[in-house]
Amino acid sequence: MSPRWKRFRRGSGDTLVVSLAPQEIELLEQLPSQLREVFDAPPSDPAASRLFPRAYLDPTEEEAEAEYEALVQPDLLRERLDALELVTASFDRATTAGEWREIELTPDDVSAWLGVLNDLRLVLGTRLGVTEEPRDIRDDAPDFMAHTVYDWLTHLQGELVEQLLG
Amino acid sequence: MTTAPVEIREPEIGEETTADRPWMVIVWNDPVNLMSYVVFVFQKLFGYSRKKATKLMRQVHDEGRAVVSDGPREKCEADVARLHAHGLWATMEHDA
Repeated sequence: MSPRWKRFRRGSGDTLVVSLAPQEIELLEQLPSQLREVFDAPPSDPAASRLFPRAYLDPTEEEAEAEYEALVQPDLLRERLDALELVTASFDRATTAGEWREIELTPDDVSAWLGVLNDLRLVLGTRLGVTEEPRDIRDDAPDFMAHTVYDWLTHLQGELVEQLLG
Repeated sequence: MTTAPVEIREPEIGEETTADRPWMVIVWNDPVNLMSYVVFVFQKLFGYSRKKATKLMRQVHDEGRAVVSDGPREKCEADVARLHAHGLWATMEHDA
């Protein structure tokens, strides 16, 4: 299933090239809508509050917290929407290389991919109640697929970070 | 840098010097963020060396939290915002 070469490798100039199976790109294309749902969810939604946490825990700083949520969080949302747009636009540039699909990513694309992969994992991980303990999910469990997707995203993000750390 | 646990000080309401005291930015442990990603983010946002970023990441993981930066309120709020933009669980509180 995995390519023998690295999923993320240096392209020309300062770009990275990601290699994915066609069905992996199809899977990735379906995921951004899950993020958009969370962006529209009320702050009481655990995944929404995980993506947009409080800045202050101290109850005497409620005023500062309200200001942070009113002034800063809209910017953070806009950044996330911009990143999502870069990632979805990059899917359209996929070219075929044998059995694989390749996408050349600019440094901005790479940052967007890293952020979107992480946000997807935060949302899925929150929904699935992931802990630091190893999980053993039976393949007949109702959320087996979601756990599989989470693990695959973890793997993909891990490879991207390894490439960036060098 | 120290690996000693950070003492959590309860805020004293109405304390006159509160506004003047510096703030610190705390990153909390969470079960989703990859260790390598946290190191990457600390290096990218704060310009820390790999060694320092790794040490802070380990402190977050082992002790549940670590102070990653400090300074005046505005600077710390900006740091918290960058950490939130990168999906890390960060808050700010007064230095003890």
